[in-house]
Amino acid sequence: LTVVVLVIISLSLISLDQNGRTHSLTSGIKSVANDIYAPLRQGIVDIINPIGHFFAGAFDYGSVQSQNEQLEKVIGQLRANQAERGFEQTQLRQLMALENLPFLQSLTTVPAQTVDQNLSNFTATITLNKGRADGVDVGYPVVGAGGLVGLVIQSFHHTCVVQLITDGQSKVGVTFGNQLTGIVDGQGPGNDMTLDLVPPHTPVHVGQIMYTSGLQAASFPPGIPVATVESFHNEAGASQESITVDPKANLDELAYVDVVQWEPPT
Amino acid sequence: VTGRSMLRLAFVIFVVLMVQQTVMVAVRIDGYHPDLLWLLPITAALLDGPETGAIVGFWSGLAFDLTLPTPFGLSALVGCLLGYGTGLTVRGLVRSSWWLPPIVAAGATAVGLSMYAILGAVLGDPGALRTDLVPALVVATPGAVILATPVVRMVGWALPAAPASRGAHVGTGGR
Repeated sequence: LTVVVLVIISLSLISLDQNGRTHSLTSGIKSVANDIYAPLRQGIVDIINPIGHFFAGAFDYGSVQSQNEQLEKVIGQLRANQAERGFEQTQLRQLMALENLPFLQSLTTVPAQTVDQNLSNFTATITLNKGRADGVDVGYPVVGAGGLVGLVIQSFHHTCVVQLITDGQSKVGVTFGNQLTGIVDGQGPGNDMTLDLVPPHTPVHVGQIMYTSGLQAASFPPGIPVATVESFHNEAGASQESITVDPKANLDELAYVDVVQWEPPT
Repeated sequence: VTGRSMLRLAFVIFVVLMVQQTVMVAVRIDGYHPDLLWLLPITAALLDGPETGAIVGFWSGLAFDLTLPTPFGLSALVGCLLGYGTGLTVRGLVRSSWWLPPIVAAGATAVGLSMYAILGAVLGDPGALRTDLVPALVVATPGAVILATPVVRMVGWALPAAPASRGAHVGTGGR
């Protein structure tokens, strides 16, 4: 009997979580729990990280020593070049800012640092160090490293969880070529994404860039680079072209990202 | 399960949750990490039978659900079913054998991960089935073998009246 009751309670909780009207209740519970748990977790991480580094260094002392020598040489060279580099760095910063302008336009962003990734083996997510208190809310797009990274799916007081575009639940409406549209569909962590709902024999080429379409009720503003075509082929009798795509953003380098304060128009 | 056991269990669940979210998530092989969550219901079922396994699975799953971006209640459901199923499966086995917990932990962890993917897909997370289960199992199963013994010790401390934790031979699973 106990087991039956527990199963019914579990199913009810899942149902409440999936129900739009009561989702705020379960997300509120998660938010409170996260506000309590996040500082504790961070405290433990702060304690164990140096211990981990100590052991990593102790087991690999020779390598650390040679790395240290190499770093000292590099520091010496960098100091000598520092004065000359100032001008170049300013130029580089301006170029990078310009590079970001086309797809962010005048949208305001919140810079954030990634503090965790893939808390579960079944999701492709990252955790950022910005939350509701910093102006980050559920549904905000996240960009960085050259394109769209994902969407904020949970926002707590000082942290938020971002569903990456490679997650099995992620779907992004895109446009490419001559006003063609499709859906970039995440296939789970480590798997190639697919471009769906593209009619057979639609002209595409490897390396072609897909941009967010921004169509009505879209979850993203238009014009953000999402993915590039990796391969494509047409199967006889298939209702759509088989296209695999790679994320435009480098999802292996997400130390820093921008959360875009944008909500779909109502 | 007495009041003192409940308090101890709550403490053990908290410790395991913290270890999972700080140490285990950092131990990544090809993007996948060991999963301590399933070891709690498995070891509770080994030590004290299917009903305790189900109860521990439910509460530990619920605690983990608070920190995961997956549907709230899914880990609780899988933990509950896994604890109960493990308890029923090991009924009649001589549970004082030192090799039993690691072997049961490995098998039940594989079942738990598969169940999580299937139930997740059915109950609102269709992306769960798109995860490559093979690499996840390749990482999580040996992890369960290695970590089963310390988790058995911790759960045994939380359930002091459990026959197996006293080293007795158990044939029925329940108390």
